[in-house]
Amino acid sequence: MVKYILKRVLRASVTLLIIITILFSLLRLMPIEGYFENFDKVSSTEIQVKLNSLGLNDPLPKQLARFYGQLLHGDLGTSNIYRRGVSINTIIAEKIPISVKFGLISFALSLVMGLALGVWMAYSTRTRFRIGDKLGTVLIVVVQAVPSAVYHIVIQFMGSQYGGMPMLFAEDNPASYILPVLSLSIGSTAYYAMWLRRYMVDEANKDYVMLARAKGVSSGAISRRHVFRNAMVPLVQYIPGSILSTLMGSLYVESLYSIPGMGGLLVTAIKRQDNTLVQALVLIYAVVSILGLLFGDILMAVVDPRISLTKREGAR
Amino acid sequence: MGLFHKTADALGDKLNEKLAWDLDEAAVMADDAVAFSLAGFRPEDAERGGYSNYSYWRATLRAFFRNKTAVFFLALMGVTLLFTFIQPLLPNQKDPLLVHYGEWGLPLNNVPPNDEFWFGTNSIGQDLWSRIWAGTRTSLFIGFSVAVVEAVVGILAGVLWGYVRKLDFFFTELYNVLDNIPQTLLLILISYIMKPGVDTIIFALSLTGWLGMARFIRNQIIIIRDRDYNLASRCLGVPTGRIIFRNLLPYLVSVITMRMALAIPNAIGSEVFVTYIGIGLPVSIPSLGNLIQTGRSLMQMAVLRYQLIFPVAVLAVITISFYIIGNSFADAADPKNHVN
Amino acid sequence: MKENVILSFEDLDIRFTLRGQVLNAIRGISLDVYKGESLAIVGESGSGKSVLAKSSMGLLDANGTIAGGHIWYDDKDLAAFKTEKQWLSVRGSQIAMVMQDPMTSLNPLKTVGAQIEEAVRLHQGLRGAEAKQAAVQALADVGISDPETRYKQYPHEFSGGMRQRVVIAIAMACRPKILICDEPTTALDVTIQAQILELIRDLQKKLELTTIYITHDLGVVANVADRIAVMYAGDIVEVGGCDEVFYDPRHPYTWALLSSLPQLGVKGQDLYSIKGTPPNLFYEVKGDAFAPRNPWALKIDFFKRPPYFDVTDTHRARTWLLDPRAPKVEPPEHIRQLRERGGVGPYA
Repeated sequence: MVKYILKRVLRASVTLLIIITILFSLLRLMPIEGYFENFDKVSSTEIQVKLNSLGLNDPLPKQLARFYGQLLHGDLGTSNIYRRGVSINTIIAEKIPISVKFGLISFALSLVMGLALGVWMAYSTRTRFRIGDKLGTVLIVVVQAVPSAVYHIVIQFMGSQYGGMPMLFAEDNPASYILPVLSLSIGSTAYYAMWLRRYMVDEANKDYVMLARAKGVSSGAISRRHVFRNAMVPLVQYIPGSILSTLMGSLYVESLYSIPGMGGLLVTAIKRQDNTLVQALVLIYAVVSILGLLFGDILMAVVDPRISLTKREGAR
Repeated sequence: MGLFHKTADALGDKLNEKLAWDLDEAAVMADDAVAFSLAGFRPEDAERGGYSNYSYWRATLRAFFRNKTAVFFLALMGVTLLFTFIQPLLPNQKDPLLVHYGEWGLPLNNVPPNDEFWFGTNSIGQDLWSRIWAGTRTSLFIGFSVAVVEAVVGILAGVLWGYVRKLDFFFTELYNVLDNIPQTLLLILISYIMKPGVDTIIFALSLTGWLGMARFIRNQIIIIRDRDYNLASRCLGVPTGRIIFRNLLPYLVSVITMRMALAIPNAIGSEVFVTYIGIGLPVSIPSLGNLIQTGRSLMQMAVLRYQLIFPVAVLAVITISFYIIGNSFADAADPKNHVN
Repeated sequence: MKENVILSFEDLDIRFTLRGQVLNAIRGISLDVYKGESLAIVGESGSGKSVLAKSSMGLLDANGTIAGGHIWYDDKDLAAFKTEKQWLSVRGSQIAMVMQDPMTSLNPLKTVGAQIEEAVRLHQGLRGAEAKQAAVQALADVGISDPETRYKQYPHEFSGGMRQRVVIAIAMACRPKILICDEPTTALDVTIQAQILELIRDLQKKLELTTIYITHDLGVVANVADRIAVMYAGDIVEVGGCDEVFYDPRHPYTWALLSSLPQLGVKGQDLYSIKGTPPNLFYEVKGDAFAPRNPWALKIDFFKRPPYFDVTDTHRARTWLLDPRAPKVEPPEHIRQLRERGGVGPYA
């Protein structure tokens, strides 16, 4: 188990190193306008001075080395346009809490709703008219097929127009949390429900369930003790990623409801072309995704006894 | 559909009745001496008992066409696609980029749907009806292109990955690295760095899109090498070409088709996404993404909501159709769902 | 119910519905299972032997129904059972099952101890340390060494043969009266097969169990069975004592089945195989289902289903060849030689 985790951590580190290097190099291709507040009004000498001071005229390896040096000190650089001269660490320190707050509420909500829906759908596949399964499938199809931009807009529109909900977020108005949280959780609710249903139906057809029935275990106990637990194992993998990704907020929902979080910040940084800020946010995004996958795999190894063995030691 | 049912019923309901074609029941049963005489053995009858005229494609199509929802969406999609492409050829269609002016030289902007402008006009006086179909063409073009690139690159890489053992390590590690990069991130980055345009979006989406296909093909190739029934075929002296053609190709083709069908709504959604965050297509290239984005900014004004509702409706029809058809086809293509 | 009969199938019909088509998996089967005996149900795959066994535990797939007939056990008609509660009174405690593939019949995420204990708690009413003790004992009883350690391990840490022992331990922990073994050795190495069969036989003797083997392997049958029922296309075509069926078979299908035994092969010649394919049970079978593949088919076979003809008190077969009006047909030479050769099973 320890060996497996070490191996997995090593792979994640290498991946991260490669990705950061690629990202940094790619971002050198960005137009240099993105380092100046009023590019049009700056003379070419001033541009060169500024670029030199930022170290942007140095050869790529040197820049890269300096960048890693900064990262090791936990320094993400300074914003040049969005909030000129302010350290990015300061900016995101203000933004992360609000994103995490929304993210965690939605995560908890979608987990509860998604699992409940998934169980209901799986149960319903064994009933005559499969009503639960059909209703759930409609939700899943709509959420999966319709681009999220579109259903977020629809939720905002319907909620504010016919539900009397505030259209924009206001920190002191609890009602203004409802629509964003709904928007944020609907996607993962459908996702959890879809996979839990699929895994539960798969598990329920396996031989060991037949054996459990043959030894006289009631169907309720089989669902709880065998089917649900086994079906949850592959899902558990995604939970760390879901929790971690709340750090990044949601690009759509935050900008749609003017929530001052990380997702909205990235959209703003892109629209204002603040290169350093985009670079820092993209980097955090990459780190969060990779760590999420890493923790997911580790958690999976903890839950599933079969994984802790490497292939060579395995029984099959 | 009737065609597909007929073949299954060709044998009729009563097994021996069809087999014993030269025996007359009344004649046989009337006389014990006849009834209790040996009937003789006909190998072709012996075989035909469990005769199953199974054909992968026929069974797949039959399973697909039994799914009424899928058929409905197939028809809906067919009509929509056809219309999208013949629309510019129809009479009285307007140029999607042309700004229409009224009597006093003022632009006919924000005109609600009427006889002249079926879906109304936008805020600078362009015809929304023709813009929506032009936008649909753009979005579909992006979707199809991405799907094709994914299939071509994915199949090539997958074949190399699976066949050339020396490359296995390289491709596996490459896969592990690339697969960890979120597609959204790449999409944002590429669109940010490169000039916004149709090719940028296609490029960004294709960059990692081929991974899933490559891995699928690679696994299939390894299965050809190792799976029992293929091993059995090989032991029976079936040439490799025939194994690929009979055992593998049908399954491959159906999975590739399904993946392509599902890549299309995903690509359309991504286009909407990048346009939404401001690095997508310029308004001069109408697309479902920028039509929706424009519509969204006007959502507050009840009279202008048609500018959001029409593109959203068209988009929903297309993405939902592709999604449902892709998934239903995947179910139908799975031999486990083929009965007799 | 007759004396000594523990389980009795009577005119049983079982149907499956698949996408609107009806498959007649069991077509009017009657069969008595006697207390303490070892009965083997033999047939090709798809002949319905597993379905027959599973029907007595209410374990048919959701699309399968008992369309007619009765299954008598302890004066109750199991075929009339509607609720899960009724079935729970039978499953495990009265009838337990060992399934074909030990690789898949254990829950991969639970320790084998927990899986045995589940049965112990349900059927022996033990809790806590006592339940654990009983589970460890169950492992020891099926010949697993170091049961204390094995108790804590997961299925993937066991070999195929050991897993099958665990499955048997689970079945035995239910304290059943009847044990159904559904192809218990098919998925195992040949060397392990004999050990598993021996284990089941020992347990049967020790606990006075009734065992029903479902198998396509006549070698298994020869080693363990007191009686044999031969199934073809959802019907029992011949049933009798082990010796009667092996040495005096009457149904042409039984002849064919015996002919395909490797032991009867002649060196240098192709092994006998039954010509043709079994009928597709989506179609209604008229007459004798085996007729088209039967070199000795009578014309009547194509139109009228034969009744059972008694050969002895314990031996009967469903073929028109036993009708007095039928021509005298001798079984093939090599079948008649079987008796002289003696012994069929590889372990005999």
